[in-house]
Amino acid sequence: MASVDLAIAGLAIGAIAALSGIGLLVTYRTNGVLNLAQGGIAALVAYLYREMAVVWGLPVWLSAVLSLAVLSPGIGVALERFVFRPLARRRASAAESLVASLGVMVLCLGICAGIWGLGAQTDTPAVFPDKSVSFGSHHIGVDTISTLVLIVIACVALSLLQNRTKFGRQMRAVVDDRQLAELSSVPADRVAAAGWAFGTTLAGFTGVLLAPRISLSPYSLSLVVLETFAVVVAARLVSLPIAVLAGLAIGILQSELTQFTVNGSLADLYRTLGSNLFVVVLLVLLLAIPNLRELGDAGSAGSFSSRGGGEDGGTVAERSKDLVWRIAGVVMLLAPMIFASSDLRHAFMVPALALIFLSIVIVTGYSGQVSLGVAGYAGLGAVFALKLASTGLIGIPRLPGLLAILVGAILVAPIGLITGYPAIRRRGLTLALVTFAVGAVVDRFVFEQSSLTGNLIVNPLHIGGWELGDKAFYVVELIGLGLGLLAVRNLHRGRLGRALLAVRDNNGGAAAVGVDVRNLKLLAFTVSSVVAGLGGALLAYSTSSFSSDAFQPIQSLLWFTAVVVFGADSAIGAIVGAAFIVAIDVMAPSGSSTLAVGILALVLGWLPGGLASAVRSLIRFVAEQLADQFIEPGASTRVPGASTRLPGASTRLPVPAQAGVAYAGSAAASVPVPSVPAMALGAGLPGSAAADRVAADRGLALTPFGRTLLGLIRAASVGPGPADADVPTGSSRPLDIRVDRPTTVGAGGYNSRNHVERGPR
Amino acid sequence: MSRAELRAVGLVRRYGGLTAVDHVDMSAPPGLITGLIGPNGAGKSTLFSLLTGVEQPDEGQVLLGDRDITRLRPDKRSRLGLVQTFQVPSLFTSMTVRENLLVGVENRRRDYAGGLFGSGIRRNDRYEQVVDDMLASLGLTDLAGAVCGSLPTGALRLVECARALCTHPDVLLLDEPASGLDATETERFSQLLRRIADAGVAIVLVDHDVDLVFTVCDQVYAMVGGKVVAHGDPATVRSNPTVQSVYLAQGSMT
Repeated sequence: MASVDLAIAGLAIGAIAALSGIGLLVTYRTNGVLNLAQGGIAALVAYLYREMAVVWGLPVWLSAVLSLAVLSPGIGVALERFVFRPLARRRASAAESLVASLGVMVLCLGICAGIWGLGAQTDTPAVFPDKSVSFGSHHIGVDTISTLVLIVIACVALSLLQNRTKFGRQMRAVVDDRQLAELSSVPADRVAAAGWAFGTTLAGFTGVLLAPRISLSPYSLSLVVLETFAVVVAARLVSLPIAVLAGLAIGILQSELTQFTVNGSLADLYRTLGSNLFVVVLLVLLLAIPNLRELGDAGSAGSFSSRGGGEDGGTVAERSKDLVWRIAGVVMLLAPMIFASSDLRHAFMVPALALIFLSIVIVTGYSGQVSLGVAGYAGLGAVFALKLASTGLIGIPRLPGLLAILVGAILVAPIGLITGYPAIRRRGLTLALVTFAVGAVVDRFVFEQSSLTGNLIVNPLHIGGWELGDKAFYVVELIGLGLGLLAVRNLHRGRLGRALLAVRDNNGGAAAVGVDVRNLKLLAFTVSSVVAGLGGALLAYSTSSFSSDAFQPIQSLLWFTAVVVFGADSAIGAIVGAAFIVAIDVMAPSGSSTLAVGILALVLGWLPGGLASAVRSLIRFVAEQLADQFIEPGASTRVPGASTRLPGASTRLPVPAQAGVAYAGSAAASVPVPSVPAMALGAGLPGSAAADRVAADRGLALTPFGRTLLGLIRAASVGPGPADADVPTGSSRPLDIRVDRPTTVGAGGYNSRNHVERGPR
Repeated sequence: MSRAELRAVGLVRRYGGLTAVDHVDMSAPPGLITGLIGPNGAGKSTLFSLLTGVEQPDEGQVLLGDRDITRLRPDKRSRLGLVQTFQVPSLFTSMTVRENLLVGVENRRRDYAGGLFGSGIRRNDRYEQVVDDMLASLGLTDLAGAVCGSLPTGALRLVECARALCTHPDVLLLDEPASGLDATETERFSQLLRRIADAGVAIVLVDHDVDLVFTVCDQVYAMVGGKVVAHGDPATVRSNPTVQSVYLAQGSMT
């Protein structure tokens, strides 16, 4: 009769999973948003509930009512109003909504971590009395019965609502086509808000019910909730009853597994399977269901990139490098070399993390896919490298540390290939879920297995018998980062770069002209997993230990969100983002960086294109202001307001002056320009010379640094000019052209703002 | 080298109980423009996607020359010389016109991995030359540097066609190429099609504009209810009683 008792025990977990699944489904059906924030919201509500019940000393029932009937729906309504309604208004793609929900997730985790810390709380009181009802010789807990009753009520209410009421009809109309429904005077916003409120309420229930069972900590609780995606995937994102049945079935099965024991080498594996059935089922289902049509098209993930920024027409000029942005990156990377040793150790994490971020840039920024499993690949890189350096691995003998790092990273490639292949064949957001599941499975079955990773030690690195000091190790890291940047650069340029961009811009169009879309995506995914592996190996070395916490699945979500915040197609953004996160983690209490990224992610709604794009605009603005500052009064034929966008012809200058403006900036306009080719050779220099000259006229002396800086800003904002616009090569982006102004085609309007927009190439 | 002919043999495609394409045979010989007409729901779009590889037939074969391409994906078909354009022009919106065309030229090879180590980064003069010639011959040289996201539909159709031609196709499949074009543009477009066909390319054209199809095509297939009801030169098909009745009933054929 043990089976029955086990089944009852499993029923408890299964019922909670089913409840979470219903919430996810309702949100998805009413809003079309795959709510990854479910876990974060569950954790947040659970923490609030505990705060009221334990810290403030409110009665448990009052805490429960407040947190579940007031706070949870409130969170949902607020999310709909301030985050997802604006997205729906501008018909954001499913991928964008997914990223927004990730932002909410990270924000919730950040709030929890910021207020209550990352440690686990074990004193959360149970909502329902800890009693049980007996029937025969079996006992079933009151909480389990209550959860089941809740499920039944939710299902019955939903089906009545959907089929019998006007609101239900409106709901179905909104699900079908929100815009169309609104045109037929359906209050779509109210329906969407109701869907969100319902979803977050069930998320709250999940959190409050789970918290007493497992210890309450932000990451682990939200991860458990995320694993209930298995239930939703089993239901193919459509059927409520199947979701409920799947939840109960997995829960019971997981519980039943514990009554058998397997001995020998598979014992650990079996035990892990028994406690992680949900995530295994999630992965298996994702790979087994041939086409999750319901998951829809991801839409263009290109919208994460700075090109989506919009204000400049999102042209390719944006893609060109911004010199100042680059210098900031280089300075940030080199500065630690002069730090004291202890500070330098903190900085160790920057290049490693930057490499991991770069790997996300490759998949998301360049090939337009959402990958949420990067921590898994990074962790595997670390495990492989450390194994190779200490004992050797699968037939490969023990290698010297540096070589082990490289080989370890390369060994991640086959794993990336195997896991990427089935996902990339499928459409839509499947890759996001598959990679998340892979990350979670790898975490449970590899990183947390003490037999595999328990004895991993980080030995000091050597080059030819000489042990690497801190500075030398940092240089090694920079070399690794350089390799990553090289890969990124090569993926961005020439034939391969064009093909990747073509795939991101238009899948069908790319296939129509023979671009092998599938293999190209797979290539990007595999390269990205290697880069992540390299980053992970360096991360382990930089912290001198391997800890499964550093590579837990939730990290993938945090990292992904951070990359989107800092500009998903910006390699330098990845480095700046890594530096930002490490700096906050060093200076502020743990979890602060999560909070910061979460806040930034929500701000992203107003700043599409990421911070990189915002900073670019800022730099452009400053450069313009500087350029205007350095116009000699009366020397220019242009009115000061010439930067307003006038039709090119009216502000166009005669040819020699044009050249002056283009090459040396406005300041040089009054200086006779000898010949165009001569100036073209030293495109960067005239800027600083001119700045110097103007400064001297004003009685200022520029320091060498100031001169260089001004020269660089000039060069960055002005660009080398028409020298290469005449000879457009494959990768050069001549001009930002508007069709309604065809006179500028091939010639360009040389008013100030227009060429400030053009970056150097 | 003579170019390959596109043939469909006994194609069937069913959706549940509905047979959208019912044992269709057709061929598009090199140098000719083949038109495909039919009222809404006749199955011409389905047939088109079976030819391009977007969908797979339940029965039958698609042959390019002697090669059976029935199970090949669109990109593989494209590399073999069967290239399509779309009802909504599907250009790479963040690239310039020139780069769009370059993508068309340079993807018959698939050695992308080499690009990781720097191959293919320098410009290939032969490819650039093909693109230059194509731009010149379609009168697009002035637009070469324009970013595609900013162009009007008429120009986009032309660029898409140019991009398809850059792949050096044997067969060109055009899905409603005249939609969104005004009368002058349509006229110029049909002249262009004739030039392309004269160069030995087989063209297959699906369009709602029956007049355009009858003027520009050398042979026409008329579909009704998933079956080909008439086939032959435009005059024959136009005078076919079934075609007459279908279009008279719809009132759209003058």
